[in-house]
Amino acid sequence: MKADWQLAWRRFAVMLVKELKQLGRDRVLLAFIVYAFTADIFLAASGVSLSLNHAATLVQDMDHSPQSRELLSRFQSPYFRMDGSVGQDTAALAALDQGRAMLVLSVPPQFGKQLAGGQPTSIAMQVDTTNSVLGFLATSHAQQIVSQYGLESAMRRLGLDDKAAASLPTVQNDIRVWYNPNQQDSWFMGVAEMLNIATVFAVLLPAAALVREKERGTVEQLIVSPLSPFGILFPKVVSMTGVILCGVALSLFLILIPLFAIPVKGSLLLFFALSGLYVFTTAGLGLFAATIARNLAQAGMLSILILAPMLFLSGAWTPPEAMPVWLRGLMYASPLHYYLDIAFGVLLKGQGLAELQPAILGMSGIGLLVFGSGLLLFRRQFG
Amino acid sequence: MADTIIRASGFGKRYAGHLAVSGLDLAVQRGELYGLIGPDGAGKSSLMKAVAGVLSYEQGQLEVFGQLLDSERSAEAIKDRIGLMPQGLGQNLYGDLSVEENVDFFARLRLVPRAEAAARKEQLLTITRLAAFRQRPMKQLSGGMKQKLGLVCTLIHAPQLIILDEPTTGVDPVSRRDFWAILAELIASQGLTALVSTAYMDEASRFTRMSVLHQGQKLAEGSPAEILQRAPGSIVLCRAEPQLEAMRRLSAIAGQCEAMGPAIRLFLPDMSAEQARGRVSTVLAGLDCQQLDVLEPELEDVFVALLATPGANGQQAQTLAALAAPRQALDSSALAIEAKGLSKRFGDFVAVGDVSFQVRQGEIFGLLGANGAGKTTAIKMLTGILPPSSGSGMVAGADMKQAGALIKARIGYMSQAFSLYLDLSVVENIRLYAGIYGLNRQQTALRLAWILDMAGLHGHENDLASTLPMGLRQRLALGCALVHQPRVLFLDEPTSGVDPLGRRAFWDILFRLSRLDGVAMLVTTHYMSEAEHCDHLALMFAGRVVADASPHAMKQQLLTELGQLYQVRADNAAALVAPLRQAGFANVSPYGTALHVLTLETERLGMVLRGLGVGQPPQVRPISMEDVFVQRVGQLEAQKAAQKGSP
Amino acid sequence: MNLQRILAIAAKEWREIVRDRLFFSLAFVVPALLMLLFGYGLSLDVENIPFAVVDHDRSAASRDYAYRFIDSRYFRFHGYAGDERMAGQLIGSGEVRVVLVIPPQFGKSLAQGRPAAIQTLVDGSFPSRAMTTKGYVTAINAAFSLAAVAQAVSHATGLSQQDALAQLTPIALESRYLYNQSVSSIWSLAPKLIMVILMLSPPFLTALGVVREKENGSIFNIYASNVSRGEFLVGKLAPYVAISSVNILLLWLLAVLLYQVPFKGSLLFFLPATLVYVLCTTGIGLLVSVLVRTQVAAMIVTMVVTMIPAVLYSGLIIPIVSLGSGARLVAQLMPAMYYTDIVVGCFLKGVGLLSLWRPLAILAVYACLLFAIGYRLFSKRPNT
Repeated sequence: MKADWQLAWRRFAVMLVKELKQLGRDRVLLAFIVYAFTADIFLAASGVSLSLNHAATLVQDMDHSPQSRELLSRFQSPYFRMDGSVGQDTAALAALDQGRAMLVLSVPPQFGKQLAGGQPTSIAMQVDTTNSVLGFLATSHAQQIVSQYGLESAMRRLGLDDKAAASLPTVQNDIRVWYNPNQQDSWFMGVAEMLNIATVFAVLLPAAALVREKERGTVEQLIVSPLSPFGILFPKVVSMTGVILCGVALSLFLILIPLFAIPVKGSLLLFFALSGLYVFTTAGLGLFAATIARNLAQAGMLSILILAPMLFLSGAWTPPEAMPVWLRGLMYASPLHYYLDIAFGVLLKGQGLAELQPAILGMSGIGLLVFGSGLLLFRRQFG
Repeated sequence: MADTIIRASGFGKRYAGHLAVSGLDLAVQRGELYGLIGPDGAGKSSLMKAVAGVLSYEQGQLEVFGQLLDSERSAEAIKDRIGLMPQGLGQNLYGDLSVEENVDFFARLRLVPRAEAAARKEQLLTITRLAAFRQRPMKQLSGGMKQKLGLVCTLIHAPQLIILDEPTTGVDPVSRRDFWAILAELIASQGLTALVSTAYMDEASRFTRMSVLHQGQKLAEGSPAEILQRAPGSIVLCRAEPQLEAMRRLSAIAGQCEAMGPAIRLFLPDMSAEQARGRVSTVLAGLDCQQLDVLEPELEDVFVALLATPGANGQQAQTLAALAAPRQALDSSALAIEAKGLSKRFGDFVAVGDVSFQVRQGEIFGLLGANGAGKTTAIKMLTGILPPSSGSGMVAGADMKQAGALIKARIGYMSQAFSLYLDLSVVENIRLYAGIYGLNRQQTALRLAWILDMAGLHGHENDLASTLPMGLRQRLALGCALVHQPRVLFLDEPTSGVDPLGRRAFWDILFRLSRLDGVAMLVTTHYMSEAEHCDHLALMFAGRVVADASPHAMKQQLLTELGQLYQVRADNAAALVAPLRQAGFANVSPYGTALHVLTLETERLGMVLRGLGVGQPPQVRPISMEDVFVQRVGQLEAQKAAQKGSP
Repeated sequence: MNLQRILAIAAKEWREIVRDRLFFSLAFVVPALLMLLFGYGLSLDVENIPFAVVDHDRSAASRDYAYRFIDSRYFRFHGYAGDERMAGQLIGSGEVRVVLVIPPQFGKSLAQGRPAAIQTLVDGSFPSRAMTTKGYVTAINAAFSLAAVAQAVSHATGLSQQDALAQLTPIALESRYLYNQSVSSIWSLAPKLIMVILMLSPPFLTALGVVREKENGSIFNIYASNVSRGEFLVGKLAPYVAISSVNILLLWLLAVLLYQVPFKGSLLFFLPATLVYVLCTTGIGLLVSVLVRTQVAAMIVTMVVTMIPAVLYSGLIIPIVSLGSGARLVAQLMPAMYYTDIVVGCFLKGVGLLSLWRPLAILAVYACLLFAIGYRLFSKRPNT
């Protein structure tokens, strides 16, 4: 019995070493893995922000009153950036067309006078909504600025000074953002990018490794040997998992923690253990594609088919609650969805096993299913 | 000199870290069929690629058609006059394209005018007998047909120089003869010059002139006859019992000594026929000597003699004897492999139909057949890679389909296509398979050393498999298949592309494994000289076993059916084929500069030859497996064609 | 350049592609499927945010306040939570993204004309969503607060409540949504999806096609013949460009017919400009293929250099202006960003060459540059 285990272990070990060596021989590939886990994540974390920042704003002030100037001066960074003024409508439109400006604010003549006289007045805003989210955000911020200014000037006109205002029944809303108090995009983008990269490699590396064996015919040699299908596929997945975990460690300890001060609130051990589980599961998807494909080109196309939805529909870009029901079902079938919960849960929220149980169970379920059916398919294909 | 097509002076090529060719001088004249032979890794392919202008080089100068090749631009100038067929079966063809589409592509690529291309295509397809398959996708062609198609594609633009890198490796003997006949015809009719390399030494006798390359340098150059002169001596073919003892005694007196099934073949340098006969008789005194023939050496013997370093063989034999000490009593009645009504159908196509045979423990069983006869499919079913459509295959008493790890650990398999890891080094590949088969550290070290010795891979330990020449790769593959000392071996064209030295070493090992360790082997090969090594042969044709007997029995049958084999030597041998056929001798074939005639009518042959002005009387030759193969397959093909003709 | 040779290579390549049925169908299915999946799935609208309420007050005012959220289409009411600890767990597990904590005395303070405070907890793991959510919360809160103030003012001044409200909001913001009047997420996404998909598949097809020829040895036919590098590259890539051209039409039709995105520009400008973009992305594939040796490396390198920038640095999700300097540099080095201007311009803005000549010129130069580098690096007489 003991000899059996030793034998199995030895087989596993040599296959593992083989996979790692093969990977190591492909210098270009290796360099790319390192690049992706370091420089690429650095770029994403340092540069990418999903919120409205410095929206290029042009003004068309036809009033030139103190009121108009006061109002316009409130359109400030970080949301807005004053890029000067335009005189004519056509010029404003051209700027919008060419994407030089995102919004144009027009203050009508008589604005100041009407405001002082208590008459209702308006200002016009043209927003480029080709990016609907930003268009919406810009409008909502602008609305707030305008209402606030309107309220203040109304109060002043009604003779209610600041002291009086304090005795008004206003509702102060104290908004606290948990887990990322300053809403640093770098935390989100950095971690999300790391997960994306891990996903890309987790699907591609094992898929490529298996298809290559099929194309070269080396897989026949393995089938004739005492290795079981599991004994062939398992070391592949384990070795790639190892490589990807190294990559994750690289980006975490070299980039995210030292450069972006990502707080690690939970247990790193737990994070790596669960990352291992995730990569393992996702690698199963890649192997699945590889068993179907006859050549690398096919495997590549199939991987895109698996990867692109996984990355886009993970819930990182589109919240599940905003998806149609049928897609939400698909999302629950994507291991990345659970991994996202896990990674943010452990790193930012400091969650432990208990809180993450549903995500872990979901991921393991998918992993078993995918790996199992991949194994079955592989077995069917070869005798 | 206008007629020097290729001139290399001090040519040298270096790859990362090692020198492939250095200081080579060579000149090929117009109209020559110039051969390059040499062991694996001698630098043949590098030279050929450089001549074709598709590989840059560092040392010396290379002139082709008087044009110095020193840049991509200068190489362009000669490319319309050159045709290149790189190494590997169908490697430069497009698998998904049909025969005709492949030819058309090359014609259009080479800007051959439409009418001319069509005419040449018809002509070439007819000569190569591919016309009937023009719609078939290239990947479904047999190896021989692929190579013929490759030749057609190489010739479609009427080049003046064609460069063929091992065009017949992996091709069966019938197709190979075909190929050379076509090539000879084309060279004669179109004034071509050809630079060809080959691993089959019997083919080398067809060259006008050739160079023997070794370690990137020229060892000898000249016509086949001149090369033969380089190593005079005699070949002795004898049968003596007990064979092992005879082997032991004979290998002590001859560097080249190999077992051929029950017989032993050895080369005695510098001895006349009489001397050789006497020497062997003395050595074998006391043994039961059943047969003793003395023959002239062939190119292969000379090649081996030229390259073999003295003592290497003996040393190898010693190592072998030490490592392969008898481990268990042989039970030769035990069945190692048994195929029972094995069939495989792919759609309507029957790849293997109702194949049955048995291989006993300790037996070397040869599976012969033309490309596409179903040998590989049969092996894949027996090893459990392909599920059979019907019938069953048993290995060591177990059905491979359900065989557990225990049974699998007892078999070794070497597939036809090189199937080791190209991005791993030699040692890493061996260690990998040692691990897969569960060898421990000590065993692994032992086997590693053994394989490096056996395959002659010393000095290449840390080379990546992808950088090894084809022959060395095959040796490595065999080594990996043997790493766990299997009891049953499946070898699918193990020696394809391996040079004669390597092949002899191979068979030496296989022989010892079977005789001393009782390993059962199922081997396919296209080298008919290797088929002689087998204890038993099965000939496959169109998916069926059509003959199943020992090599000796097969030869005897041919002798009684078709008569003795005679060698006819004449200055104008090739011109005699047609008159001899007219005179009623159907089985005439060119063999090097001579002719081989198979006939029952000995006296009439002598008469007819005298009538044709041939002075030398025909000489009786022992019949070879190649003759058997070519005859049998020829008959079967004729039958099949007749059946098709009269539905 | 000899047309016959180019055609010969192109025809051969085309046949090989077509005969690989699975690959051929995937070449069209993958882009269409991605378009469908993303079009329906990649909604960037933040809606139906699940939230919970911890109501320590249980007054009419507190219920009224909560009701403003329950009633909003941006929020989905998950339920009342007993205390902050429970609410915290709900956020931790991701069941709700927002929790409103209404303190005791909330209703009483307002009724007495004193300011009241509310605490809102927002899940910040997705900062952009948290930001949007904050925006919604602030807006709803402002409206409630304004109503409360208006009530107080009407009490104090005797104005009707409506008038008081009007007095307090003297300025109306008249927003005009340009290009995408309904601020529809799909309108802004679909054109950019064309950009992403055309960034993914052409380089991939191309890189694999060229490296495959290198790996299996048939490249020697090219090396050994008089075909020039340029002829080979043009012939080899033409079928892939053709496939991508069909995909351009396919994606355009999907955007216009299925997603009903208005196409305001001219097809006569859009199609050639898109072709230039496809040439660029094909060129990326070519560049990868001359640099790597194995198909595996080709596959992974193209994926990494195309997929990630196409998503992050193309303006798909994040506008270029919001990028940091490093990321912006990457964005400017990739063709995607320039094409985003073109595709959005053609679909939503209805502008043409006049406004878009700059990005188009950049793409054209880009394509030429890529092919020039590919041409330089591709050697017909390599040294191994």
